[in-house]
Amino acid sequence: MTIGSMIGDIVESLFKKPVTQQYPFERKEAPERFRGRVHYEPGGCTGCQLCVKDCPAYALELITIDKAAKRFVMRYHMDRCVYCGQCVISCRFSSLRMAHDEWELAATSRSPFVIDYGLPEDLATLHGTEAEPEPDACRNV
Amino acid sequence: MSLSLHPLIVLLFFPGGLFLLGSGMFYEWIDRKLVARYQNRLGPRWFQPLADVVKLLAKEEIIPQGVHPGLFIILPVIALASALTAALYTPLLGLQPYYSFQGDLIVTLYLLSVMTLSLGLAGANSINRFSLVGATRTITQLFSYEAPFMLALLGPAIAAGTWRIAGINEFAGQSLWMILTQPIGFIVALIGLMGKLELPPFDAPEAETEIVAGALTEYSGRGFALFRIGKNVELVVGLTLVSAFYLGGLMNPLEFVLKTLGLLLVMAGLQSLFARLRIDQTVGLWWRMGTLVALLQLLAIVIGRALPGLF
Amino acid sequence: MEAKEPKKFIVPIGPQHPALKEPGHFEFSVDGEIVTGASIRLGYVHRGIEKGTEQRNWIQNIYLLERVCGICSHVHAMAYTLGVEKLAGVTAPPRAQAIRELVAELERIHSHMLWLGVAAHEGGFDTLFMYSWRDREVVMDLLESLTGNRVHYSTNVLGGVKIDVTPELADTIRKGCDFLEERLQHYLRVVTTDETFLARTRGVGPMTLEQAELLGAVGPTARASGVTRDIRIDAPYASYAEFPVTVVTDNGGDLTARFVVRIKELFESCRVIRQILDNMPESELVAKVPRRIPAGETISRVEAPRGELFYYIKSGGGDRPERVKSRTPSLCNWSTISTVAVGHKLADMPMLLAGIDPCFSCNDRMIQIRRKGHEDQLWTWEQLRRYGIEYYR
Repeated sequence: MTIGSMIGDIVESLFKKPVTQQYPFERKEAPERFRGRVHYEPGGCTGCQLCVKDCPAYALELITIDKAAKRFVMRYHMDRCVYCGQCVISCRFSSLRMAHDEWELAATSRSPFVIDYGLPEDLATLHGTEAEPEPDACRNV
Repeated sequence: MSLSLHPLIVLLFFPGGLFLLGSGMFYEWIDRKLVARYQNRLGPRWFQPLADVVKLLAKEEIIPQGVHPGLFIILPVIALASALTAALYTPLLGLQPYYSFQGDLIVTLYLLSVMTLSLGLAGANSINRFSLVGATRTITQLFSYEAPFMLALLGPAIAAGTWRIAGINEFAGQSLWMILTQPIGFIVALIGLMGKLELPPFDAPEAETEIVAGALTEYSGRGFALFRIGKNVELVVGLTLVSAFYLGGLMNPLEFVLKTLGLLLVMAGLQSLFARLRIDQTVGLWWRMGTLVALLQLLAIVIGRALPGLF
Repeated sequence: MEAKEPKKFIVPIGPQHPALKEPGHFEFSVDGEIVTGASIRLGYVHRGIEKGTEQRNWIQNIYLLERVCGICSHVHAMAYTLGVEKLAGVTAPPRAQAIRELVAELERIHSHMLWLGVAAHEGGFDTLFMYSWRDREVVMDLLESLTGNRVHYSTNVLGGVKIDVTPELADTIRKGCDFLEERLQHYLRVVTTDETFLARTRGVGPMTLEQAELLGAVGPTARASGVTRDIRIDAPYASYAEFPVTVVTDNGGDLTARFVVRIKELFESCRVIRQILDNMPESELVAKVPRRIPAGETISRVEAPRGELFYYIKSGGGDRPERVKSRTPSLCNWSTISTVAVGHKLADMPMLLAGIDPCFSCNDRMIQIRRKGHEDQLWTWEQLRRYGIEYYR
């Protein structure tokens, strides 16, 4: 039976640096496995749509430019993404990966959250033929 | 040490009024910072209490339904005014008190209680259930710590043979520190002060996990700000009294700052060391332990003073 | 839940209240400081997750169900994947099962340490709260570097796990466990010997073995009353058969006993984590699971940090479940509060509430309340839908 059994801790803390990290000024490195922003490499993609089907947040859209030539543009809705990493697992051709160092993704409007990945000429075709993507087009199932 | 100033300056700027408000906020910051450091946190920056007060004063004051509007507005003013008045009789900054008369110790203690009393009334004035429970607890706690706290401060008074705060301060400065001669009294006074200020572990009257903010639940804006400032001033006055009586008197500003801050260091440690006491435990603690112990101490002092006369 | 007779002084706690981190409504009728009656009202965070599962395919549901609870996210996903694997007739490889157990035990450490802090805060012991949450960061960091996220670990996939444990990670986890064990020993000493804290917990909310059985308490709440029931031992899942834990019980039944049981469970968790890391089976990480799950129904039970978590899964043979029902441990423990609360002080209520480690949003699913003299209110999906449309018109 004691009174004030945490006295050791509090006296020790008085002479120790506080553990609080002042975030925007002090940053902690994210671990290697951290699931951040999704990246898409059009190289191996066959357009199987498994990533799109398995995405629990409906954050991925695969836009076909030319089916025969296997040319696709991946439209990634970062604001819907829950960073679960299922798309990376679902992809059999390693076209998707998650960046561990890109996690400060806040923005003041929704437009930066719609990201198109693809070969430059495909992106040009897409944006030439199609108007700017509607930022809050929501896909309901 | 003593200065002669125009009474208006004394009341409005120094050592009353502005100086008290400023030092109140400073001590609040020190207290918060120390508790934070004890908990291995960073704590607020130095202007946080000031920012809080400015924000609160700028906010709209909402007078809720079911209260007596006059009381609702006047109670924070009375609380702050009594705390400020109490400060005039204490050796703030180690200077001579500006007003001093035989028995001002009792007046000061009553003025400090007025603060708690208006807190209780403010809660009882409201129909909010948290406020009512908070008010009951505030008044209950007032009745429990008041007697031992007063007895603990009377000890040095009897030892000094005067009921003037200035006189006791002088006596304390000349004799052995009374923390050594009356250790029990010091502990009771320190813990009593914590009870008076409703600091943890005696914060049952405003226990946020049970009754939100206790008696002040419905206060916002100016009223809340005044109560807060009042409490800060009370912290300064209380620290001054206890360190003047028990830590060998306050004779100059340096002594004042060192002794009160030393006391605050201990108090912040005690704040972070314990779990909150239930109100029944608080009452039990004070009446079963505090009062008895303080009475014994007082008895010892009276006998000690009477003995030389007997032989 | 019933209308109270008038002239009682009722202290409402919630739906918005500093003691509650999630919305729930509790009404305590008090006589001075003594509580004479308690009633609980839930349902403020009903999110329709069970219905949502019927709209998504088997894989998407892992991540939806993971979000039933933010604290025990892994066990929800694990219970679901174990159930679906059972339906599909697939067993995940042993290494995957071991990793599932590893993450589940790490999650238990983080959940119980979170609870330790919250319970201490409810009792006004903010220092213990700050320190236990500071040390909890260690296990959060371990989980983050192991799985890639602090909260939603997303470790499970149908048929296995996504992540592997490398030797370096194993060493980090061992070191973290050493640190945590040392700190937890200290906290155990604090909660069992500190006079002021014991004054708030000893003898508060005592629940006897009979009461615990009668009220259907589960998890550490029940084990603190001497109920030896733990799904990890009674019906081993994942790799709990290979790496068993021993059940921790206490006979006190009061808040002190709950503190002791939860902290001691963590020593057990640390021991099992080391055992898994030392004897990690070598195998694949994922077994193939078809996209369409054969028709059938199954149940799946796991021991979440708060107690038994139960899943019922029904498949019609398609790529979506026909019904997923989950019963979370908090729901089982609520009734203990309203029974035990009577006669205690108002000041004990926040600690009593925290004592069962409630998770509000977990347990908010459809509950049918049967009142005397009232007809059962059962609405069909169509009626409910129409009501919703009318309501928001």
